[in-house]
Amino acid sequence: MKDKLTKEEVLHVADLARIEVTEEEIEKYQVQLKQLLNDVEKVNDVVGYDDEIMVAPWDDNTTLREDVSGEMLDPKKVVENAPNHTGNYIAVPVVIGENESEGA
Amino acid sequence: MSKYIPTIGIEVHVELKTNTKIFSNSVNGYGQMANSLTNVIDLGYPGTLPTLNEEVINLGIKAATVLNCKIRREMNFDRKNYFYPDNPKNFQITQNATPIGYDGYVEIDDNGEKKKIYIEEMHIEEDTCKSTHRADKTLLDFNRAGVPLIEIVTKPCISTPEEAKLYLEKLKELLFYTDVSDCKMEEGSMRADANISLRKSESDPLGTKVEIKNIGSISNVKLSLEKEMARQEEMLDKGEEFKEQTRRFDSKLNDTVLMRVKETGNDYRYFPEPDIPTVIITDEMINSVKKTIPMLPDERREKYLELGLSEINAKKIVQNRSLSDYFNCLLDSNINHQTGANLLLGDISEYLNKHEKSITDTTLTKERFIELVNKITDKTISSKNLKDILSKVMEETSSIEEIIKSSNISNITDTSKIEEVIDNIISANPESVSDYKNGHDRAIKFLMGQVMKETHGGVNPAIAMSILKDKLDK
Amino acid sequence: MRYLDKPIKEINDLLKEKKIKPIDLVNEAFDSIEKNKNLNAYITLNKEEAIKRAKELEDVDADNILFGLPIAVKDNMMTEGLRTTAASGILKDFVPIYDAAVVEKIKEANMIIVGKTNMDEFAMGSSSRTSYFGAPKNPWNNDKISGGSSGGSATTVASGDVLFALGSDTGGSIRQPSSYCGLVGMKPTYGTVSRWGLIAFASSLDQIGPMTKNVYNNALILNLISGHDSRDLTSSKKEKEDYTRLIGKDISGMKVAVPNYFMSDIVSDEVKEKIEDTLKILEKAGVQIDRVDMKYLDNAVNLYQIIAMGEASSNLARFDGIRYGSSVDDTTNIYELYTKTRAKYFGEEVKRRIMVGSYLLSGENAKIYYNKALSIRDDIKKEFDRIFKEYDFVIGPTTVTTAYNLDDPMDDPSKSFMDDVLVIPVNMAGLPGLNIPVGLSKEKMPIGMHIIGNRFEEAKMYQLASFLEKEINFEGGM
Repeated sequence: MKDKLTKEEVLHVADLARIEVTEEEIEKYQVQLKQLLNDVEKVNDVVGYDDEIMVAPWDDNTTLREDVSGEMLDPKKVVENAPNHTGNYIAVPVVIGENESEGA
Repeated sequence: MSKYIPTIGIEVHVELKTNTKIFSNSVNGYGQMANSLTNVIDLGYPGTLPTLNEEVINLGIKAATVLNCKIRREMNFDRKNYFYPDNPKNFQITQNATPIGYDGYVEIDDNGEKKKIYIEEMHIEEDTCKSTHRADKTLLDFNRAGVPLIEIVTKPCISTPEEAKLYLEKLKELLFYTDVSDCKMEEGSMRADANISLRKSESDPLGTKVEIKNIGSISNVKLSLEKEMARQEEMLDKGEEFKEQTRRFDSKLNDTVLMRVKETGNDYRYFPEPDIPTVIITDEMINSVKKTIPMLPDERREKYLELGLSEINAKKIVQNRSLSDYFNCLLDSNINHQTGANLLLGDISEYLNKHEKSITDTTLTKERFIELVNKITDKTISSKNLKDILSKVMEETSSIEEIIKSSNISNITDTSKIEEVIDNIISANPESVSDYKNGHDRAIKFLMGQVMKETHGGVNPAIAMSILKDKLDK
Repeated sequence: MRYLDKPIKEINDLLKEKKIKPIDLVNEAFDSIEKNKNLNAYITLNKEEAIKRAKELEDVDADNILFGLPIAVKDNMMTEGLRTTAASGILKDFVPIYDAAVVEKIKEANMIIVGKTNMDEFAMGSSSRTSYFGAPKNPWNNDKISGGSSGGSATTVASGDVLFALGSDTGGSIRQPSSYCGLVGMKPTYGTVSRWGLIAFASSLDQIGPMTKNVYNNALILNLISGHDSRDLTSSKKEKEDYTRLIGKDISGMKVAVPNYFMSDIVSDEVKEKIEDTLKILEKAGVQIDRVDMKYLDNAVNLYQIIAMGEASSNLARFDGIRYGSSVDDTTNIYELYTKTRAKYFGEEVKRRIMVGSYLLSGENAKIYYNKALSIRDDIKKEFDRIFKEYDFVIGPTTVTTAYNLDDPMDDPSKSFMDDVLVIPVNMAGLPGLNIPVGLSKEKMPIGMHIIGNRFEEAKMYQLASFLEKEINFEGGM
């Protein structure tokens, strides 16, 4: 087992997590992240368990909410905590390239 | 015919018609002041947790039912992780592993040929917020964040752009009729993405897939697929290769435009949503939802044809849900349904459009409508008469009989007056009278025309004709 | 003698009889907080508001036992109008616009919040040293850590500032600092306390619980904060119960399982000896003690790493500098806004964990690691179910050593997980776990026993703990 991630691997996970990393940090993470990954690698040695999974120790199934509206925020309150806003809108640097989110 | 076979799949997002959002109790609304329909959940504030709107599950069951899907009885939600400013938590709560509906189909009618468009799956998820792009910044309005959506994904089984259009029309009709969604493409409550690949023969592997995102209307889906087919054909003919990519349809350019080339598969890091325990769908829930499903469009059209409506009229009534619902109340009543349909689609529709009303906003009750249809059928009212009394019919509550009486129409159905007019015309046109007696059918039409002219069209033509015939045949 | 040092029932009588006022207690609390300022237990004090509230309460009847009593709240629970940071630079100026469910309950009971306690950043750590605001110190020895992540809560209760503090426990963050600081700390059954308003670290593991100097006070706070909340779908619908009801009752005939792994050589001799001594006390009282083997306990830390880091990477994605929180303002594109904001305002431990978490969920890894972890997690729960068919409790030490030095190195990324090796299995299975102090080390640092109960059996755990509390009489120790 190698004891370091490659620089590219660190850059890849930093991109996934949207964290900028300096050259110095990359070196540090090459070792530290690899150590954590070596830790979790040990689950592959575990045997004897069944296929059922537990997402969370839920006590009940979901109880659905009635479709009745409740209190909403004043738009002024919505923008108050935002670092940047224009009128009632929250503002971000111009999003170029894509018109719509990938997800929806 | 093209020498390539297209394989098309369609993904549709529809916003569900609920009072509140999927995971919070703020209002699901459109066209309101920016950021006025939000709470801490919609904004992804730290410490907030989702709850699950009952109506979303009901509408999901409803949609799954009318799309002939199997309904999953035990389902979970998943997190789809990606950073984007319109995505407040930077993950979207969706259903990846256990979509509510799967293995369904929608039947389309392509020029008399029936075909099933198969549905791979349909799942429930939350909408993103709305971004407005300015020159120097992007503005975010979270009113749409958390609006419930269902995404409906077909199998890659659509063979032509026309089929794609027919599928979308059918889908829209079904979801609109069942009140699952408004299906307003112009307001974004229905959005379509299409993907298409070409190959030379059925036995070839599928060609390179191109996805066309966020197409603004059903006709543009067809158009963009046609354009995209032409573009790909040209490239394939030249032997050019292209990468899997995402394009959008530019309605100004009337063509598809490249958005991005897919480098690697998107890495959404799906995992089960721990904040929403398993959702159980019981028989009871399904049965109570099924009770709320009205007669579906196909069945309506069939019924109307059985009642003798023309195909075009049957289709037209179904296109207008409130008219169709109204008409359905009359299915069992003893009236001439063709006359009723003509009336609804003609003068009444014209009136409703002009006054921007729905038929249920008028005073035309079922009983009065039946009376009106019968008066037309027995020719008590002519089409000219109807135009004169229509506003009274639609706005007053007295019976049609009374309206006829209080209008001038009652005078003209007075036979003595008609006889007087006819007598005068017969004596003034001896030539036509003798023509008639010599067997020239055209003569009676001329005489009838004179009667109408004299009475300014205010006479009941059936009554006038029968009197005229009586007198001539004497 | 301060009023705050009297038994809670006496304080309540004095309030009822209007012999003292809530402000007297609030003043005592802030005098103590001031005196212990160097311990760095708090990120934000709520002095002005607390005094104002205490004065308002002068006209209100003391209608419940917790009325007018000061309490400290961990800084990862929303307090409307009072800064809430989760000890992170990214929320260093964040003022919430709503209250957490537990905070609502505190306010409804007319308790008085004195401040927000220090912690590991986003509760990620075991020594509270990952706090943006510097680490709190252990009142028993100021060169030692008070544990984590609820270190500030442990510090302020142990130093006598307040009778109670709320902590949160994802992988031991209530029990481990309680052990290091000699407190009673309860991590209730998952679903007992609403998580509405708790900044999520790992949603399937997080649970809020009380930290106090004695068992009775602990049960009182659990009485207050437990109960169903429709805003949290994972909140249990079990009826409310009185967690004090079994305190002081006979424990003879109870059965305890001690897993061999919990007493293996991962635990220091000194801690092991003290636990053995305590087990003898129980045996003498008629409790049956059996040594058992349990599967998967030694895998729990690795499973926890996968699940907690995976969930955290997703839960912390929302801190992007757009809707709230700190933000780097000189960026020209959205990608930079994300990467620079998160690089600047997240600390080392948090960055490491969310990077690894993102990696563990990406592409095929979700299958290789995450799904496998969920699968083994289910078997850990089944293993506990098997034991609880025969036994009332599973018992061991809470921590492998006593609190270590504040200046011990922090460069080993596995260390913060291994500190919690004995308490993590409880979170994996969603069970309740309680630390009860059972003695001191040679260095005069507290040693704690970990009592694990079956789901929703907190009352019985308090019963056992109250017996030990009486037998050992730890509280006079410091």
